[in-house]
Amino acid sequence: MKRTAIALLALLALTLGAGAASAQDTPRAGGVIKAAMIGEPPSLDLHWTTAVIVQQITWHIYETLYTYDKSLNPVPLLAESHAVADGGRRYTITLRKNVKFHNGKEMTSADVVPSLQRWGKMSTTGKLLWKGVEAIEAKDPYTVVIHLKEPSGSLLYGLGSPNNGAAIYPKEVIAAAGEGQIKEFIGTGPYRFVEHKPDRHIKVARFKEYAARTDAPDGGFGGKRVAYADEILFIPVPDEAVRLAGVETGEYHFAQQIKADQYERVKGTPVLEPGVVKPYGWITAVPNHKQGLMANKKVRQAFLAALDMDPIMAAGIGNKAFYRIDGALFYPEQTAFHSQSGVTGYNQKSPAKARALLKEAGYKGEPVRWITTKEYDWMYNTSLVAKQQMEAAGFTVDLQVLDWATLVQRRNKPELYDIFSTGFTLGADPALATSVQCNWPGWWCQEEKERILGEMLRETDPKKRKAQIERLQAVFYEDVGRIKFGDYFQFSVTRKELRGFHNAPFLYFWNAWLAK
Amino acid sequence: MLVYVVRRLLAVIPVMLVVATVSFILIRLAPGDPASVIAGPYASGDDIARLQRSLGLDQALPVQLVKWWGRLARGDLGDSIFLRRPVLEAIFERMEPTLLLTAWSMLVAVAVGVPAGVISARYHNTTVDQSLMAFALIGLSIPNFLLGLLMILFFGVWLGWLPVAGYVPLEGGLWLNLRSLIMPSLALGLVQSALIARITRSSMLDVLREQYILAGRSKGLSERVVIYKHALKNAIIPTLTVIGITFALLVGGAVVIETVFNIPGLGRLIISAVLRRDYPVVQGVVLLIALTYTAINLLVDLAYLAIDPRIRFR
Repeated sequence: MKRTAIALLALLALTLGAGAASAQDTPRAGGVIKAAMIGEPPSLDLHWTTAVIVQQITWHIYETLYTYDKSLNPVPLLAESHAVADGGRRYTITLRKNVKFHNGKEMTSADVVPSLQRWGKMSTTGKLLWKGVEAIEAKDPYTVVIHLKEPSGSLLYGLGSPNNGAAIYPKEVIAAAGEGQIKEFIGTGPYRFVEHKPDRHIKVARFKEYAARTDAPDGGFGGKRVAYADEILFIPVPDEAVRLAGVETGEYHFAQQIKADQYERVKGTPVLEPGVVKPYGWITAVPNHKQGLMANKKVRQAFLAALDMDPIMAAGIGNKAFYRIDGALFYPEQTAFHSQSGVTGYNQKSPAKARALLKEAGYKGEPVRWITTKEYDWMYNTSLVAKQQMEAAGFTVDLQVLDWATLVQRRNKPELYDIFSTGFTLGADPALATSVQCNWPGWWCQEEKERILGEMLRETDPKKRKAQIERLQAVFYEDVGRIKFGDYFQFSVTRKELRGFHNAPFLYFWNAWLAK
Repeated sequence: MLVYVVRRLLAVIPVMLVVATVSFILIRLAPGDPASVIAGPYASGDDIARLQRSLGLDQALPVQLVKWWGRLARGDLGDSIFLRRPVLEAIFERMEPTLLLTAWSMLVAVAVGVPAGVISARYHNTTVDQSLMAFALIGLSIPNFLLGLLMILFFGVWLGWLPVAGYVPLEGGLWLNLRSLIMPSLALGLVQSALIARITRSSMLDVLREQYILAGRSKGLSERVVIYKHALKNAIIPTLTVIGITFALLVGGAVVIETVFNIPGLGRLIISAVLRRDYPVVQGVVLLIALTYTAINLLVDLAYLAIDPRIRFR
């Protein structure tokens, strides 16, 4: 009798245990996901800004016609399908039906056309693409036709870009904004905007009428998106130590941009889950091609020759799991575009060669003005080590430490600096990547490079694009367009109860749920 | 008395005009501009220029300054560039946490500082005095953000008694509100209490050497009556001045503590406004702080009257 009772109890315990385990592994609706973010978004209008945090928050609210799959190639999101005709010059995009905006209205081509026009006029990527757009028209409520001047290999990548993305807003919102920023934050996304209390939180809540795609999530950003959490709070927590402490005590479920040297500690804390966001970006020094010492190619080549990237990246990031020594312009994860061909001048570690080049250039020890910031400590730390290496090769370096707002203003003035520190976050389309644009601080404008970029914009065959990238890389290293130190990855920390969350290069919380 | 108050109030106007102008010029002298911050790191120079035009920042500085005076005269502090609302509204939204934080910290500072000073003076040159003053020295030397971070580690992470950061508004419940302010008020208040303790002690020591204290003692008054009734009342005037100054220090400290504890108050408002060059907000908050500080000074001067009948203002 007693034995039976024990057996029964054991059985009960087992069932309960199994039940609990499976309950934790099946997605569960409800709860509020609290995400500790590094700060406040400067705007909530995705067309207006390239700030990463704006994309991270607002793309839960707004959606684009396309998005990226696991290998960062475009796949439809609000679009159903598209047909290309007229030798690649006409894109006929069919929209999905019954997709509702958060104001209850159905999304149609009447919203898509003004949204894309505004994006083409305002956003940095949009403007680049719109140079090649002849006209855009709404053929019927569910069909949009884009007429191009030339075939484009970048159009769908651009339309799918999360950063500064081609968000589809209702036409009324666009009309009300005029030349300014949008005043109402309405999209078609799985979460709708509820409130923004500055320095407190941005609250989004599940959009009950969300029209999810029916195809399964593809491991990237495509496929079905489900809002499991009732709400998401994006909480600005500027202090890194407080972000980490908060996720440890359960105040937040997610903390972004934690220093890599905390990795071991987080790994040893049972309630926490360390996450590596890979790939994330490069760490870069941008020489000023327009004016000053770095306008001389020999001086730039000397700069590149002097550098030993390992100690620079180690100083910048610390933990080896969070950086990679790779000189290629695109990431190994972008299988279609990654190549080592043409990567000739990376990581030379040759002060002697640098010295010789400086002599050829007639350099007489004039100070190289390098502007950097401590607001991103990896920028300051990498510049500090690079400065020492440059000095060992005969450079005189005047490292000027500024706050970020000053740096981003000064770098637009060619007379004020020779080098500035920055990072380039992941861009999916090689022809649209900021790292190779001429119309951007540093002004790397070079005939051969512009020609390759022009070809790349038009090229639709991925194999041919890869060959173009290899040519581009050769020019990049010969002309020293920028100095790439290496790839860096971000460290984010989540609590164990946040399930189904992916540490993707573009942060998102749909398809993630809270187990309890 | 009334004439004095009116005269002091009238004197506020030129002070405010100077503060308004200086804050306008100072924030614009700082390099960096809001347009580059809004546009984000990958924007081109043209995009930034377009934003500057749409924000009215391409106008000449004197033109912008005159416009700012004009708005001020109408009691309008302008609109925040980033918060999409009038500056005054943004300030009012942030008043609650900062007022409560300052009030609690002030309470901590006075409740700890004054008794510590009095006890130190009473037990002058004893172990009690020396250890209290040693604590005060530590308190004066430790930066409040460090104290805050240590408290977060100890009470928040290790013991788990208090939330590590964040703020629960009053409408979320009195207890939860208080709970979210305990650590920040202690971090801010304890540091200030050190200053108050030292001032109270030295002023008490001066008073205790006065002859009327000796007279009091010799006529057989209890030590308690001598200290609290006769000595403290006369010794408190310098302390009162310091409490007034402490208020200014608290507002300064709130800027730091609100950032550490993630409290959405005026301190956070001004810090983020400075970092992203939200000119109207910086100007508005500086003006408000100056106004409050002037008002506190006036109140302190009036409090002298109430405490010490020998003081007369003309």
